[in-house]
Formats: sequence, structure tokens, C-alpha cells
Amino acid sequence: MGSVIIEKMTKQFGEFTALHDINLEIQEGEFFALLGPSGCGKTTTMRCIAGFEQPTSGKIKIGEKEVEKIPANRRNCGMVFQSYALFPHMNVFDNVAYSLNIKQLNASNPVKQLGIYARLLSKRLGRTPKDIQEKVMKILKYVELDQHADRLTSELSGGQQQRVALARALVMEPAVLLMDEPLSNLDQKLRHSMRNTIRTIQQDLGITTIFVTHDQEEAMSMADRVAVMDKGNIVQIGTPTELYSNPLTPFIADFVGTSNIIDVEIVEQINGTIKLKGDNFLLQSTNTIEKKQAKAIIRPEHIQVLPYDTDVNKEEVNVLEGIVLMSTYLGPTVRYDMKVGDQEIIVDTTYSSGISIFEEGRKVKLSIDHGRVLLI
Amino acid sequence: MKARFNGLSVVKILIYAFFGLFLLIPLLAVFLISFTNEPVNIIGSFTDPAILSSSIEKLKAINLDNYRQIFSNAGYLDSLKNSLSLALVVMVLVILICIPLAYGIARTNMPFKKTISALCTIPLIIPTFISAYAFIIMFGRAGWVTHFYELLGGDGMLINPYSMTGIVLVQVFFFFPYALWPLVAAFKISDVTLEEASLNLGAKNWFTFIFVTFPLAIPGIISSALLIFTVSFSDFGTPIVLAPKDLNLMVVEAYREISGFFNWGGAAILTVIMIIVAAFFFWLQHILTKGKNYGSVSGKPKQQKMVTNKVLTRSLSVYSFLIVLVPLLALLSVLLQSVATTWGKDLLPSGYTLKHYQTIFSTSLGNIQNSVILAIGALVLSVIIAIFVSYFVVRQNSAKMDFMTSIPLVVPGIAFGIALIQTFNVAPLQLTGTAILLIIAYTIRRLPYMVRSTMGAMRAIKQDIEEAAINLGATPLTAAITVIGPLLLPGIAAGSVLVFITVIKETSISILLAPPEWAPMSLAIFQNILRAEYYSAAAMSVILVALVLVLQGLANYIGKKQRL
Ligand SMILES: Nc1ncnc2c1ncn2[C@@H]1O[C@H](COP(=O)(O)OP(=O)(O)OP(=O)(O)O)[C@@H](O)[C@H]1O
Ligand SMILES: [Mg+2]
Repeated sequence: MGSVIIEKMTKQFGEFTALHDINLEIQEGEFFALLGPSGCGKTTTMRCIAGFEQPTSGKIKIGEKEVEKIPANRRNCGMVFQSYALFPHMNVFDNVAYSLNIKQLNASNPVKQLGIYARLLSKRLGRTPKDIQEKVMKILKYVELDQHADRLTSELSGGQQQRVALARALVMEPAVLLMDEPLSNLDQKLRHSMRNTIRTIQQDLGITTIFVTHDQEEAMSMADRVAVMDKGNIVQIGTPTELYSNPLTPFIADFVGTSNIIDVEIVEQINGTIKLKGDNFLLQSTNTIEKKQAKAIIRPEHIQVLPYDTDVNKEEVNVLEGIVLMSTYLGPTVRYDMKVGDQEIIVDTTYSSGISIFEEGRKVKLSIDHGRVLLI
Repeated sequence: MKARFNGLSVVKILIYAFFGLFLLIPLLAVFLISFTNEPVNIIGSFTDPAILSSSIEKLKAINLDNYRQIFSNAGYLDSLKNSLSLALVVMVLVILICIPLAYGIARTNMPFKKTISALCTIPLIIPTFISAYAFIIMFGRAGWVTHFYELLGGDGMLINPYSMTGIVLVQVFFFFPYALWPLVAAFKISDVTLEEASLNLGAKNWFTFIFVTFPLAIPGIISSALLIFTVSFSDFGTPIVLAPKDLNLMVVEAYREISGFFNWGGAAILTVIMIIVAAFFFWLQHILTKGKNYGSVSGKPKQQKMVTNKVLTRSLSVYSFLIVLVPLLALLSVLLQSVATTWGKDLLPSGYTLKHYQTIFSTSLGNIQNSVILAIGALVLSVIIAIFVSYFVVRQNSAKMDFMTSIPLVVPGIAFGIALIQTFNVAPLQLTGTAILLIIAYTIRRLPYMVRSTMGAMRAIKQDIEEAAINLGATPLTAAITVIGPLLLPGIAAGSVLVFITVIKETSISILLAPPEWAPMSLAIFQNILRAEYYSAAAMSVILVALVLVLQGLANYIGKKQRL
């Protein structure tokens, strides 16, 4: 087990810089997600940690130890590949036993090594030692695959293959578990249940885990902390709630959940309240900002829709007039596209029976707490 | 990335050096000699200043006389014309013969389809000079067909095997499978929905075939036609046995120039022209088939309605049997001849004996042994080279390596042989007449098959599987042994059998390069045919074909196991 520390890591492929000066500190036992759009460098970061790529500059420490000189096969990072990368010529048992066999191989003298090679190449040439068998069966039971130990991996479903890959990485008791978009090949339903499986196992074993994904929901629901990456940079690191309520940039606000990102001009500041001017409407915010031009971030669910004739007379609340452009029924929520001034805004309201949906073209009132208007 | 100088890059350099020395330099040498009209010792020029200066002298004297000669020397021009028209006629006939056959196999429920398909592989296991020789047994002056023809009231020979017609027929009946399978694939993938639409609109079957099915198969037909053209043009076995003295063909002419008259310039110029023609048609075929992979599409056939019309399927079946009957009878004729006491102008031999086999096992065992040793040598060498080449091509995207190892595909065997002789018959690397050069020649000539086979297997192994092994603690070597190796093995095995078979069948290289003490079976048979020792030639041919059959069976077995 160990922490992972990355200091000023840069990775270039020829002229192209895939990673700029990355800094990360991942605690022991933490479930850490790397989140970002396609091509932002998540896989590259992970491959540098695993030792498949050499960083152009910078340091990586696993469990306090610098790993630059340690080749990939001795880094003890268990990796779960996006495509699972199971060995097609071995059954489930042998896939999982592989690392233990290799460990034994590396610790043996050349004569014994020949025997182990023979055993690895053909089952008929030797039996797997008892202790390895026991360990493998234990982990297979753990991922509920002990019934399928003799199957070829091609005879398994996607979710089962995923669990073989996980078991194969876990059985070597790695210092860190690296997972590169492990759920992206699964269908929606399976993905949800595998999220729980992975999270539970991680908590159970307390293993330091780095989890790569471009699905924000996945990252937010599973990870202790999330690093958001963009174009080879780390833009923000924080707990899911921090990222959600305090996005540092419009990019994050947009990437982590849905946001209304509105260009505003600061009109004046009085007693901690800022008056803002948007495109033909006014807003107030209790957040602070030093700039003249800013972006106001408002989450769709932080806006309330009220009938036009409602009187709202509360302090600290923005009341705006809007027109419904479109309403979309999304099950538990209703999403409205609204026009406020000359700005289009998305509003999510919880739908419960008895409340009528405002039809298109209807004039409504919108209320937003001053505190919910974030400024960047 | 730092350029790492490791074991692999040394291997890469060695492979380039090997191909440079044994393929590129010889080809360059022939090219130069075609201008200088005198031997140019390229390798010697690097080691000996005296040779270098004489080479430079020769290069200064470069002229186009030789090339002018093509047009003045009636012999050369004739041979080019004859070779081109031979290839053209064979190409057209093969396609005409194959279209109904392919359609029958691909799209109808004709009776005995499996049997016919199996019989269609016979031509592929018989080297062409044995097929040519079989035609002599059948159609020659004392052949049983000739006898039969006379019984029916005919006069003289039905077909003179020693003629252009004879050569055309042998090539047509023994090369048609090369076109057949691509054509079957082309008919299989033709858009069935279009055909059904046409039928739904009330069109008749034959109308649908001519205006819908056939046009859709045209790209496949053209590409098969070009392939046949190249194969026929480069074939050495048939013409060398059957071409009469007054019929000039490039391959024969080139062979005579080098082995009869030691005319360096003449042989070189013929070689250069042969390579250019073969390469041109190969290239044409390549650009036409680019992006269209018939083989892989046919792996997942759409649901196709098979034609069941009784009249049509039965006549197709009869027709197909007639086509495959010729190679089958040819093979049987060789078999009969090998066990005949004497077989004069009669339908059947006058008696049967195993004497010829005894003779072979007492006097010619050496040839069989040579064939096997040479084939194993070429096999080991090509396995080693092919594994590395496919690693470089697949894992490091080395397009140069890919290109270089495909060059042998376009060089006719006789041309390659001449190039090797001209380069290695003098010091410092005098290898002509050694088994080593023979093995190297076989290896280079057949390497493309091996590379394709291993490359396919290597492609199927995703990079991350290798990385997974390393991630789990294996060193690259251990990963290679325990993961890459086992996954590559079926590809290597399939390629090996193919290389072994083609080396045993190889004619042109063996005839040109094999020294007497290393004469393989093919050379021995060839010499027996030349000496008119037909019975032992037949027995040896049967042994060769049997060997090929066994290996082919092995290959099929491996292939089947692989697919499971
Ligand atoms: N071996 C390589 N050579 C050149 N460029 C590379 C190489 N590997 C990655 N890159 C580039 O580096 C950038 C980051 O790639 P990376 O695979 O890390 O993205 P990613 O965040 O994992 O994306 P995805 O979500 O699509 O998997 C990309 O622009 C990619 O094209
Ligand atoms: Mg990736």
C-alpha cells in the first residue's frame, strides 16, 4: 500500500506536450479519480505511473519511493485496462494466477524456472502450487467468479471479464490500483452495479486507487477526490462537493454537472452584495470577485420557477421574469429552456404530481438566491 | 523519446543487411548488367579497390545497346510478345472457366459441392513442371488420350503438348484455383438485397445474374484476372518442360542465356523486363483491391438464398466435374506411370510394379533428404526473420520493412535466381553452388507468406496484452515466452507448413542454383524428365505430391484447431 506523489511531471510526444507540469498528491487508501475530456492526458498520466511511459521531466513517487529507475514489471501497480487485456489463451484461473506464478518464477533458480515456464505453457507439464491455488480461489470467490474458474475468458460476459481483470490486478496485492476507464465497455445498468462493486472492494481492502474516467457522474459518485484535467493540465483538485459548489473555472463548472454560464458586467458592490448586469437583465450575488467582466455560474437546479403572478418579496433573492421556450420531461425532473432578457437559461425543477408543467410561451417568474450566483 | 540502442535495433539492422545483401544488391546488379553487358561485382567493389575501379570503368561504358537489341534481336522481342500473349490467353480462359464454377460454389446448391471444392485444390499441390509432364503422359505421342482419340477415329495427337496450346492448357487447368477462391468470395459478398429487389420486381434469374450479380463481382474478377496474368507470366515449370525449340518465352529464353550461353547481358535484360512486367501487374492488382478485403467479409456471410433450380445446379455440377477432371486425370496418370512396368501407346499400362519406387529408395533417397533439409533450413530461417519482421511492422509501424519483405512477391523465381547467380558467382562472396545460397534464396522468395501469417497473428495480439503481462510482474522476455509466444504459435505453424510446401515444390530456383550434391527432388524429377526417364520421374513426383498432401493436411488441421 502507498501514497502516490507526482511532482512537476511533463510528458512530450515529439513536439506535442501531452502533460504540462502535473502535480498530484494521492493519499494512502484514497479513491482518486482523474476526470477530463477525451485526449486530455488521463491515460498518459496513468501509463507514466505504471511505467509504460517515461515522463520527459518530473518525479513520481509510489509509497515515498522514487520510481524513475524501476521498470514497469517491478512497480507493483495493478492495472485494469480499458479493454481488460485478459490473456485469451488462459482460463479465468490462470489469468488470475499469472502474477503469482511470475512472482514464484522470479524468485526461483534457473532450473526451477524451466519447470515453471513449462507449467505456464502447458497445464499437463505441472500443477499450480497449493498456496497459489488458494490465493486465487479466495480472490475469485471475492469477485463471485469461483464458479467460472475453468472457463475461457472469451466465454464470459462483459461484467464478468471486468471482474476477472480486477481480480487479476488485486491478487498481486499492488501498492496502487490503476484503472483506465474500466466501465466504459459495459452497458448502462451493469456500469451502475460495477460502480458499487469496485467502490466496495476498494473500501474493503483500503487500497490506494486511481480511477480514470471521462464520465463526471462516475467520478463524482465513486471518488474521495477528483482531479479535473484539460489539455494536459490539472485544472482543479477537490472532493466532489467542492468541485460542484466551487468550480474554479467555467470549464469545470460545465464539465462537472450542467451549468448556466452567463457573461455579466459588474455594476457596483455594496455591503458584500454585487450588482450584475447581464444581457438585458439584472442579477445580484453575494459572492466576491475583483474583475469588471465576469462569468456568473448558476446551476439549473438552483433556480425556482413560479407562476408569473407570484409575489416574491424576500431579501437575498433574485427575481427575474422569463418566458418558457421549451419544457422537457426527464422523469423525476422537468427541464425548462427559458429566455431571461436576451439570455437563454436552463432550469431544472423537481417534478411531483399535482404541480403543473409550465407550457411553452408562458411568462413566469424565476427566483435565485443571491448566494447561488457563483462568480468566476 | 530517447532513441534506445538495444538488442532489437541490432536485429533490425541485421534484417536490413540480409535483405540488402541477398535481394537488393542482386537486383541492382542485374539492372546494372543490363546496361553494361558485362558482370559487375558490386560486393567486390566494396572490398577490393581493383574491382572497384574496373566496376567504375564498366559503369562508364554504360550504353543502351542492350535495350536497342530488344528491338533488333527478333528472339527477345518474340519472347516478350509470346510471354505476354500466353499470359493474356491464360488469364481470359481462366476467368471464363471460373465464373460458372465460382457462381456454382458461391450461390447455388449444386450437387457434390463439397467434393468439387475439395478436388479444386489438387492443382495447387502439384508443381507445374509435374503437371506439364503429366500432360505429356496423357497427350503425348504415346499418351493414353492420344490412343483413345485414335480409337475414336482421330488422326495423330488430339493436342500437341509440346506447343503453345499445350502450355496454355496446363496453365489454365492448374492455375484456375488461384482465381476461383477470390471469385467465390466476390460472388458471396455481392449485395443480396439488390438481387432480391431485382427478383421482386419480376426480373428473371438470368437477367438478375447478368445485370446485378455479375457487375457487382467485376472488381473481384478483374483482380483475379491480373493475379492469373502475373502467375502465368512468371511460371517457369510449364514452359521449360513443354516449350518447343522454336517457341520463345521469356522465362525459357532467360534460362538458356544464363545456363547455356553465359550471356550475362542478355539474361540481365530479360530479367529486368520480366520483373518490370510482373511488378506492373502486381501493382495494378494491388491498387484495384486496396481497401477491399474479400476474405474478411466472407467470414461473416449474410443470409443468402441459394439458387436451387434443378436444371441449372445439375448442369453446373456436371460442368464443374469436367473442369476438375483434367487435373485429377493428370495426377492419376502420373500415379499409374509410377507403378507401370511399361506404358506404351495404350489406355492402361501393360503391367504393374513397385520397382521404380525401389529404385528411388535405393538411388535417390538423397534427393528426398536434400529437399527436406533445404526446406527445414529455409523454414527455420524464415520463421526467425518473419517473427522479427512482423514485430517491427506491427508494433513499430515500420513501413519500410513491410515494403522490403514484399518485394520478392513480384520477382519471378527465374529472375531472382539469375540475379543471385550474377552477384554471388565471384569472390569475395562466392556462394553460387552452395546449399547456403539455395536456402537463402528459398527463404527470401517464400518469406512474404511467412510474414503474412505471423503478421496476422501478431496484429491479433493487442499491445495491452503484452503490457498487462509486464504490469503483472513479467519481464519482456517472460512475457514473450508465456503470452506472446503461445498466441503467435498458430500463425507460425500455419506459415511454416506453407513455406515448407512451397520450398519442396520450388522449381526455378532449384534448377538454377542447386549444385549436384544438393539436388532436391524437384531438380531430380526435372533431370529425369529431360533424360526421358519417365518412370522414375513419375515415382519421385508421386512422393513429392504425397509429401505436400500430408503437410497440407497438417496445415488444415492446424487451421481448424485455430478457429475453434
Ligand atoms: N504514443 C503517443 N504518441 C503521440 N501522441 C500520443 C501518444 N499517446 C498519447 N498521445 C497524445 O497525448 C494526448 C493525451 O492522450 P491520452 O491517451 O492520455 O488521452 P486520454 O485523456 O486518456 O483520452 P481518452 O479519454 O480518449 O482515453 C492525446 O492528444 C494523444 O493524441
Ligand atoms: Mg485514455
